[in-house]
Amino acid sequence: MVYTQRTPWTLIMGVIMVAYAYLVQSGALAGVIKYLGTDRLTGEMLTLGYTFGGIAVLIGLWQLVAKTAEGHIDYYLSTIGGVTFIMLIAFIVKWGLDPQMAQWGRAAQPALGFNFASVMNLNYVVMGIVAGIVIVNVFKVPGWAENGVRLSRLGLKTGVILLGALYSFAELQQLGKLSVVLIGVFVLGSVGLVLWWGARRNLPNSMTGVLSAGVGVCGVSAAVAAAPVVQAKSTEIAYTIGTILLFGVICMFLFPIVGKALGMGYITFGAWAGTGILNSAQVAGAALAFQPTGIETLKVAEIFNITRVLFLPIIVIWLAIWYVKREVGAKKVDVGQVLISKFPVFVLGFIILFLLSSTGIFAPARHYQGAYFDNSDKVMVKKDRSGKEVNNHLKDPDLQLLQKEGEKVKRDDQKAALQRLIENKKLMSIEDDDTLRGVVNAKILSKEGNAVLAKAHRAVRHTAAKIAMFRDLIAWFFTFGLVGLGMQITMASIRQAGGQPLVIGGIVGLIKAVGSLIVVMLLVHETI
Amino acid sequence: MAEEKFDRGTALTIFGTDRHEDLVALAVSLVIALLVYLYV
Repeated sequence: MVYTQRTPWTLIMGVIMVAYAYLVQSGALAGVIKYLGTDRLTGEMLTLGYTFGGIAVLIGLWQLVAKTAEGHIDYYLSTIGGVTFIMLIAFIVKWGLDPQMAQWGRAAQPALGFNFASVMNLNYVVMGIVAGIVIVNVFKVPGWAENGVRLSRLGLKTGVILLGALYSFAELQQLGKLSVVLIGVFVLGSVGLVLWWGARRNLPNSMTGVLSAGVGVCGVSAAVAAAPVVQAKSTEIAYTIGTILLFGVICMFLFPIVGKALGMGYITFGAWAGTGILNSAQVAGAALAFQPTGIETLKVAEIFNITRVLFLPIIVIWLAIWYVKREVGAKKVDVGQVLISKFPVFVLGFIILFLLSSTGIFAPARHYQGAYFDNSDKVMVKKDRSGKEVNNHLKDPDLQLLQKEGEKVKRDDQKAALQRLIENKKLMSIEDDDTLRGVVNAKILSKEGNAVLAKAHRAVRHTAAKIAMFRDLIAWFFTFGLVGLGMQITMASIRQAGGQPLVIGGIVGLIKAVGSLIVVMLLVHETI
Repeated sequence: MAEEKFDRGTALTIFGTDRHEDLVALAVSLVIALLVYLYV
């Protein structure tokens, strides 16, 4: 089968991207960029426009003139059209629709009484996924783009692996413990509930088994992974995938709205999304929709998601043993073989990147959330863009406020750290920074006092250039993956859901979502 | 996108297995990490 199609569209999209980057570079679009307030994005407009546009022009020309034969080159290069298609949509949504929608939301606020763009989460993540859903269901993905759309899951997995570079030991230790407990309870609980309920409703064991993996662990991948051990039929896998997709899409759009309405922070929302949403891609979608301008929520949600994915081999073994007990003639399970064959290798990649980052090769050692400590005069006194000197030492009114509120601090180590800050007008060590962050988290001082401590913290914490690059790359890999994911959510696949599996899957999914929300609100705090 | 349209991979991925896709994601990530390390 030859996959390359003789189409001018790859070339046309490439020319549009290069022309856009050129217009940005030449200043011809300065007025539009100023109007939309996207000045800070001009760097990525140039880099991505020229890179993807250049590749698309070359491959587009090749597709038009070369004779293609069946083989690896044909197969893999045929993805370029679809990748360019997804990226073009992502560019339009992120650099055009997103800022425009934000402006419309603000403009309509006096009339409506609320900012509809903010309340309905109409940011580039949500609009990108919706654009994908509309394209596939209303217009149909063009044939020349189909192979590229099938790369979206690769984009999401690459994003998750790269995310490993952004964690510090402290974060992983605290989030890891919490996620194992929460995920352990909710994954095992929902798998057990589906198995129990399926048996009571006399569903076939194969149907119950595959549904429990899908609802409990990580959605579509888990359903596919568990299918062979419970000898599920393709219709049963389709029922499960339909249920998961329907539930996941609703969650992806609803979770951020509920999270904002309840005033959840990055950590609480990330923990809830990572636990309560069924499918990995939709966890990322909800986390980025909740916080489109940063990846703190995504980082928390992905720790929970990865913990959930790590439960997959355990669930597969559980299901295999459960199935053997209930079915006469079912093959016995080799636990070791299941563990090796079902272990998700991309999680290993995440761990490798985390370990590499922990050696300090991407950011100075002991960075916290990608930011490292430096209080030398070289960084405390800087020149701004106009050449004016900016001194980041605390000023006299700030110091007087801290002095006045100092008596509220009772612990000796906190008192000493605060005293050193007041004497030196800057934080003197990582330990002092950590100690005073504890004062902020415990809300010991007034709001103004906490603001001064936060200012002192920002003055000595600096984001490493490599970490900043990782953040940008990760955001784009997820954007690519999520727009492509939207193009894979077809009404036909959702319509596959129905009958008893939809009722059981839907109710157990809802119990998991509401139960995890209650537990997260009660037990998880914004203190990490 | 019907599954039988592709003689390689599935409707969700161009790779034959999840393991294959994971390994490619791992390779791409390591190459990116190397480039970031060397040039940023």
